[in-house]
Amino acid sequence: MVGVSLSRWTMSYFAAALVALLVAEFLMTIGYGFPAAAQAAPETLILVHIVAIGWLSLLMCGALLQFVPVLVVQPLHSDRLALPALGSLIAGLAALIIGFLQLAGHVDRDIPAFALAGVLLGSGFALVVWNLGRTVVAAQTIPLASRFVVAGLACMAATAGLGIIFALVFGGTVTYRPLAVLTGAGLPVHVVAGLGGWLSFTAMGVSYRLLAMFMLAPELEGRTTKGCLYLGVAALVLAIGGGVLTILFDQDPEFVLLAAAAVGLMALMLYGGDVLHLYRARKRRHIELNSRMAALALASLAASVALIIVLLPLGRLTDHIGAVVFLIAFGWLSGLGLAQLYKIVAFLTWLECYGPVLGKAPTPRVQDLVTEARALKWFVLYFLAVWTGTIALLASAALVFQITAAAMLIASGGIVAELVRTRRLADVKAVSRLPLGVQRPRLLLSYHA
Amino acid sequence: MFIQTEAMPDAARLKFLPGREVLADGTLTLHDKAQAAQSPLAERLFAIPGVAAVSLGKDFITITRAGGDWQRLKPAILGVIMEHFMSGAPVLRKEVPASSIAPGTDPEVAGHIKDALRQVIDPELGYNIVDLGLVYDVVASGGTVRVIMTTTTPGCPATNYLKSGAGEAASGVPGVELVDVQLTYEPRWSPEMMSADAKAHFGIG
Repeated sequence: MVGVSLSRWTMSYFAAALVALLVAEFLMTIGYGFPAAAQAAPETLILVHIVAIGWLSLLMCGALLQFVPVLVVQPLHSDRLALPALGSLIAGLAALIIGFLQLAGHVDRDIPAFALAGVLLGSGFALVVWNLGRTVVAAQTIPLASRFVVAGLACMAATAGLGIIFALVFGGTVTYRPLAVLTGAGLPVHVVAGLGGWLSFTAMGVSYRLLAMFMLAPELEGRTTKGCLYLGVAALVLAIGGGVLTILFDQDPEFVLLAAAAVGLMALMLYGGDVLHLYRARKRRHIELNSRMAALALASLAASVALIIVLLPLGRLTDHIGAVVFLIAFGWLSGLGLAQLYKIVAFLTWLECYGPVLGKAPTPRVQDLVTEARALKWFVLYFLAVWTGTIALLASAALVFQITAAAMLIASGGIVAELVRTRRLADVKAVSRLPLGVQRPRLLLSYHA
Repeated sequence: MFIQTEAMPDAARLKFLPGREVLADGTLTLHDKAQAAQSPLAERLFAIPGVAAVSLGKDFITITRAGGDWQRLKPAILGVIMEHFMSGAPVLRKEVPASSIAPGTDPEVAGHIKDALRQVIDPELGYNIVDLGLVYDVVASGGTVRVIMTTTTPGCPATNYLKSGAGEAASGVPGVELVDVQLTYEPRWSPEMMSADAKAHFGIG
C-alpha cells in the first residue's frame, strides 16, 4: 500500500473544532471567564476546556486521522472508530461543562456530570490513541516526525488521565487521598502535559513534515531534529512523571517543573533552528499563505518562550501565566492550526472532488479553490488581535482584552467563511468547477472514504 | 561479503545493499528479461522465478516481486548477488545511460504519451507531473505502455489518484491498448528533477 485514503470524518472534526473556537472567542468577547473571573473559577475552566478540548484537541485529532497515515505510509487502522470517538469527545466536553456549572452552583448536582465527563472523554481519547497507535504499530518505518506524534499521543493519554482523576475528585466520586492531593497540586502538570506535550509537541512533529512538503524544503532527520525529539521527550517525562511523583510524595513540584522547563527550552531552541533552516533552505521561493501565516504562529511560540524567560527571574510568571497560556493557545497553536487548515481543507476538498477524474478531464489546481488575497486580511487581523490581547492581559486591561477578543472572533469568522467557500468550490471558475463525474462535496464529511 | 536488506514502503519491493558500488551513477530499471540483457547480474536475477523487475542504483539493487514470498525469494536473490560480485563480473555489459527509455520503445509514441501525461497535475504543486519530474520513464512497445512514476512524498493521499490519472491519460493516446503504471520511490523525488519551465514557475534558481 503506497497511497493512503481520505479520512472520511476529518472534516467533521474540523467543523466541530471551529464551532468551539468561535464559541470560545464569543465568551471572551462578552467577558466570560478570565480575566474577568479568577484563573481557577469555574467560568474560566469552562472557557479553557472549550479551547483545549473543543477547539485544539478536536482539530489535532481530525488532522492526525488524515496525517498519521501519510507520515508512516500506512492506511488508518479504522475509519469507523473516528465517528464514535468524535461523538464521545463532544458529549464528554458537554458533560465537563455541566460539571463546572454544577461547581459554580448554576446547575443542580442531580447528574454525575464529572463522572460522565471522565468516562466519555476517556473513551473518546482512548479510541483516538488506539486508532492512531495501531496505525503506527502496523507501519514498516516510523519516520522522525511521527515519533513526535507518538510522544504527543502519550502526553494526550497523560493529560486525559489526570483530567479524569480531577473530574472524579471534583465530582466527589473518588475520595482516595493521593488522588485528592494530585488534584490539589497537579494543575500545572495537567497544563504542561496538555499544552506542552499533547498539543505543542505533536504540532512540532507535524510542522516538520508539513513545512518541508509545502515549501519544497529538505526533510530534516539530522542531529538537531533528533536532539529536539530526545530533549523534548526528556522534558515531558520529567515534567509529567517527575511532577506527579513529587506531588504524590507531598512535595512541591516547582523544582521538577523548572528543571523540565530548562530541558524543554533546549529542545525548543533546536526546533527554532530547524524551522529557520526549513524556511531558508526552501526551494519554493514564493510560498503560499499557509506557510507565510505559519511563520507568524512560530513567531508567537518564540514570543511565548521569551515571555517566560523574562517573567521567570522577575518572579512574575505566576501573575502573568494567563497571558502566557493565551499566547501559546491562540498565537502559536491556534495560529498554526488556522494557517494549515486553510491549505488542508482545500487539498482534501480537491482530492475528494477532482482526484477521481484526474487524467479524464481538465481539473483546477488546489490553488484555484482559494483566494489568498481575500483571506490574508483575516489572518493579519487574527494575529494582530492575539498579540494585542496578550499585551492587554499583561497590562490587566480587561476591556481592551474584550475588544481584541471581538476582533479575533471577526477574524476567525472570516477564515471560517473562506473555508466554507472552499468546500463549496465557490472560488473555482464556473467553466472548470464541475467536470463530468464531479460532485459538489458535502460540507462536513468526505464523500470518498 | 555481507549483503544487507532494507524493507520498502511497497511490500512487493525489497532493497539489497551489497556494500559496494553497483552503478557508477544514476539508476537503471529493468522490467523484463529482454531489457536485462544489458546486465549479467540482472539477467541472473530474472532467472529466479517470481522476480518481476530489477532496479540498479549506486549502491543498491531493488527487486520487485511478481508473486511468492520474500522468505522463499530472498535466499536465492542473496545467492545470485553474492556470486556475481565474488566473480568480479561487470554489472553492465556496456555503458548505458541510466534512466533512459528502455530498448524497444517507440520514441514517437513515448512522446505522445508524455504529452498526454501533461494533463495530469500534481494537486499540491498545481503543475503537470511530467514537468515536475514525477514521471521517471515511459516504455512503449506495440500497444503496451509502462509508465514508471513517483509522487512528491511517499504516502501522499493523492498517490492513488495520480496513478490512475496517469493511466487514464496514457490510455487516451491513439494506438495504446494496455497501460501499466508503476510507482517507485527509488530514487526519491526532489525539486532538482523539475524541468527548466517548472523550476522557473516555482522560482527555483
